Amino acid sequence: MEQSGHLAIKNLTKVYERGQVVALKDLSFSVKKGEFLVVIGLSGSGKSTLLRCINRLIEPTSGSVSLDGVDVTSLPSSRMRRMRRGMGMVFQHFNLISRSTVLTNVLTGRLGYTPVWKSMAGWFSKADHELAMKSLERVGLEEKAYVRADELSGGQQQRVGIARALMQQPSLLLVDEPVSALDPATSNSIMQYFEEINQSDDITVLTSLHFLSLARRYGTRIIALKGGELVFDGLPSDIDDSRFKEIYGEEAEEVEVR
Amino acid sequence: MDQRLDGSTLLGNLLHTRARTALKNRAFSFLLDWMIWGYVAYAVMFFLNHYWYTWIPGHWYDTLTLPSWGWPLTIIATLELTVICRNFGRSLGMRAFGLDLYPTSGERISFVRRLLRIAVWQLSVPVACVGFWSNPAVPLHDRAAGTVLRSTREVDREETDANDALGIARVRKPEKRALTTQWGIMSLFLLGLTFWLGWTIIEANLSVLTRRADKAGDLFQKIARPDFRYFFKEDPIFVLRRGSFAILDLMVLTLLMTLLSTVLGTAVAFPLSFLGARNIMSFHPVGLVIYTVVRGFFNIVRAIETLLWATIFAVWVGWGSPFAGVLALTVHTIAALGKLFSEQVEGIDKGPSEAIRAAGGNFFQVIRYAVIPQVVPAFWAFTLYRWDINVRMSTVIALVGAGGVGTLLFYYKNEGQWSIVGSVVVSIVVVVWLMDYLSGWLRERIVR
Amino acid sequence: MSSAGRSTKPLSQLINLLGRSLGQIQKAWEPFIVDFAIIATTWILITYTYSWFTRGPELATYFLVPWWLFLIGSVEIAVLWESFGVSLGHTLFRVRLLGADRRPPTLRQAVVYFFGWHISALPLAGLLASPPLHERWSGLRFHPLIVDSIRPRPWYRRSIGIYLMALFVVVSVAAVGVTITFQNLVRLFSDAYRVAPLWRALVNPNLAILKDSFSDLIVTIFMAVMATLFATIIAVPISFFAARNLTQGAIGRTVYTILRGIMSIFRSIEPIVWAIVFLVWVTSAHASFAGVLALWIHSIADLTKLYAERLESIDEGLMEAISATGASRFQVLRYGVVPQIVNPYISFTLYRFDINVRMATVVGLVGAGGIGGRLIAYLSGQRYANAGTVMLLIVVAVWAIDYLSSRLRSKLL
Repeated sequence: MEQSGHLAIKNLTKVYERGQVVALKDLSFSVKKGEFLVVIGLSGSGKSTLLRCINRLIEPTSGSVSLDGVDVTSLPSSRMRRMRRGMGMVFQHFNLISRSTVLTNVLTGRLGYTPVWKSMAGWFSKADHELAMKSLERVGLEEKAYVRADELSGGQQQRVGIARALMQQPSLLLVDEPVSALDPATSNSIMQYFEEINQSDDITVLTSLHFLSLARRYGTRIIALKGGELVFDGLPSDIDDSRFKEIYGEEAEEVEVR
Repeated sequence: MDQRLDGSTLLGNLLHTRARTALKNRAFSFLLDWMIWGYVAYAVMFFLNHYWYTWIPGHWYDTLTLPSWGWPLTIIATLELTVICRNFGRSLGMRAFGLDLYPTSGERISFVRRLLRIAVWQLSVPVACVGFWSNPAVPLHDRAAGTVLRSTREVDREETDANDALGIARVRKPEKRALTTQWGIMSLFLLGLTFWLGWTIIEANLSVLTRRADKAGDLFQKIARPDFRYFFKEDPIFVLRRGSFAILDLMVLTLLMTLLSTVLGTAVAFPLSFLGARNIMSFHPVGLVIYTVVRGFFNIVRAIETLLWATIFAVWVGWGSPFAGVLALTVHTIAALGKLFSEQVEGIDKGPSEAIRAAGGNFFQVIRYAVIPQVVPAFWAFTLYRWDINVRMSTVIALVGAGGVGTLLFYYKNEGQWSIVGSVVVSIVVVVWLMDYLSGWLRERIVR
Repeated sequence: MSSAGRSTKPLSQLINLLGRSLGQIQKAWEPFIVDFAIIATTWILITYTYSWFTRGPELATYFLVPWWLFLIGSVEIAVLWESFGVSLGHTLFRVRLLGADRRPPTLRQAVVYFFGWHISALPLAGLLASPPLHERWSGLRFHPLIVDSIRPRPWYRRSIGIYLMALFVVVSVAAVGVTITFQNLVRLFSDAYRVAPLWRALVNPNLAILKDSFSDLIVTIFMAVMATLFATIIAVPISFFAARNLTQGAIGRTVYTILRGIMSIFRSIEPIVWAIVFLVWVTSAHASFAGVLALWIHSIADLTKLYAERLESIDEGLMEAISATGASRFQVLRYGVVPQIVNPYISFTLYRFDINVRMATVVGLVGAGGIGGRLIAYLSGQRYANAGTVMLLIVVAVWAIDYLSSRLRSKLL
């Protein structure tokens, strides 16, 4: 295994059986520890599929994904679940359990560490509870711990999602379009949480984003997908007008999100 | 990557998904048309029997028995009528499945071409569907007549796409008024036929309604002036096996029966409902088998009404015992709630379960943390709703010997003491109405 | 009308005061009535079950203590619960009894509230003051429930949790004790052979009676068809007068209330009871007609309710837009309301047809025509193999119609 590759992706291909659609075509790249990697591309370009192939929420058709030298794609499902503990995920639509309290939602981040019988009864250890309150404090929501998740605003819900991912104490954070359901001002504050996590905890962040302006501002490296193929891999400053048109199509025009 | 991703086998080419759907729609629309004409044929035979059967050689005494030549004649006649309908205008079956006949050349299909299509059909389809062998999408009779039977929506979309490519804005011709189309006229005809047929079959008789209106008036007066003599006090003449009971006693008993059966039914239906949810069980072929079995169980048990279950259990555990009623209500509750519950489980938002899986949760943890919290309020609501239904049902299952307050109802009805029947009916109405109101109020509060 | 809403007339002042007091009385008594009712019910149930076991079923009684003791006891327990805990009424109405700044009540405050309640709220006089006297004395009042960062107790440590658990145990014991005898249980496990022929017939039906039963099944289905058709014809126009948002003014409201009341009473009477009544009316010579009439009445009541509820939830925006063009009342109905309800109405009708098929088999049991009569005849003649065959037919028919109707309904919506 190469030394620098914290996360290494090789010849990753995903074909959806039913629709005979190729979502990812022979994708290869690697990510260094501590990077803030942004994946950009049009909707349907395979960004979500890529992220979900990494923690195998979607089974890749061929190719391999390895994290810290462990081949993720060949793990049996029980080992895979342990593997997933180390990969936090934050979702576009937050994916919170809307009728449960915020605290319960955050605690579900510990499910991978909790014995099944204990979690069936809803018991989490004292340490887990403390960690949950600490994570909530980090995203500034300790006041809302016992409020039902669906009573929060969109931005607050996403922060709960972040706290839940932090509970896993991951080395890699997979973030799927974290701000596309939010307004611009909230988007920025959410992105700042990721930046802070990336820098102070040295957690690798792999996020897909819709807006190039946000990608330029927060990413240390950008890759672009188009029709499931890698069309760009480099620094944010390398994307000029012609590159942009190549990724987003001829008629696209860049919009600024502040 | 230059992989051929479409199914390249012969079968795949012949019947890939879209073609298969088209063929299925075609077959089902034909079947529907044929069934409609079968229904008309049944009606004709029914009326022949009803009014003039002696004219027909071989004397049919009922519509389900035909002379030896009757069945082939019926089949051929209905088939021909079906085909004629499907070639001249848009039949009901074609309309129901969104199909229409389009010409492959020329603006419209001429009369001669339609006749030709009918004629070729006689050779191409009935003989083991030969006409479909070479190309299922365009069978022999279509090729001969230069026509094609296609989904109107598909044709519309293609036309729009073509026009868009040419930059033409096409004004869509509005559909004809329903009553001027074949399927409209046919629907109206079928409705009329059903009225006539139904009126005859149920032996509706308005004159008896008016003739005996005074008798009914008497009855209603007695019921409307209920006699609450035996509400608190036991009727000494009425004796169940374990003593005599007042209306109130049996009402309490009935409510306890419904409570017990609702609780038991829910307790069984809750775990079963996860086994009967497709999205939960589709992780493995064995899971799908379990799913099918559980769903089949729900459907069959549900199709037997509570009252029928009560007849069975009354024979089983003893006539007149409330336990029979409890069992009947429980069994039906399991099936009815199980189905509602599993449909609810199938309708959950997939997001939370994805999140739990991403956090390393296993199958049971996904159910406990992502599925159950989503469905529990609806489960409560359904359970309350079911309790409401059980209360309604429990008041009448006494008819077949399953205990409860209905015992008094049918006892006094047989005795002809209608004013006491009135008091039982009023008590039932009050309780049912209260339950309806209470369960509605509670449901509103729970689902939030 | 002046927007200031001030008036100097003493009469309207009195009305204002009365209105406010009524509001306060309602607010204070709503949770209390719920608590009182549930406590009283529990008490009666416990008494009844206890006396059932100790005195035997025929001497079982609801009141072992004088009625006034029962009444005072229930009231006291309910008030104790409300003063010192979070009661069921509080939970259902989403309120909490809290002090100033939402502080939890101290013991002293709760005691004052408890005794104050008897002086002020029970005779209703104290509720005329604002805030009510017992609230003023104790410094506690109802606050809307807000969840915040204070960790709530787990459900089994709250008084409601404990109460509901106790209630569940009491009711279960009562229900099991009253409905199930030992004899029953023995028969459940030993007497299955009695209905065995019935199950056997489901797999191996008696073909000799299949044709006649099928004819009866057709009658049953047509009973459902006719009842549904005629009920639809009546219920569609009625539903417009039974929808709250379409009935305005004194007359409209009266019609609405009367219609809804009648329909709700008619719906509460099972079709089988209606069938008994109609059998007396049209005599058993017209059995299936009686069945149709019974289903018809019940369907009208049910469909009117379903239709009217749909009407009540229509999009008012469209109606507004149509009336803004200067359309008349009927034009608004035709273009603003009808397009929104056609598909739901058809779907409800199909749903009702599905229910009517089930019910049509059941009304036959009292002799109101169709296949139910055949079934009950076989059952009472103890010819279980034949009964099983009939049941098989019913199951297949009901299942098929249920499947078709749900498929059609899902396409309509």
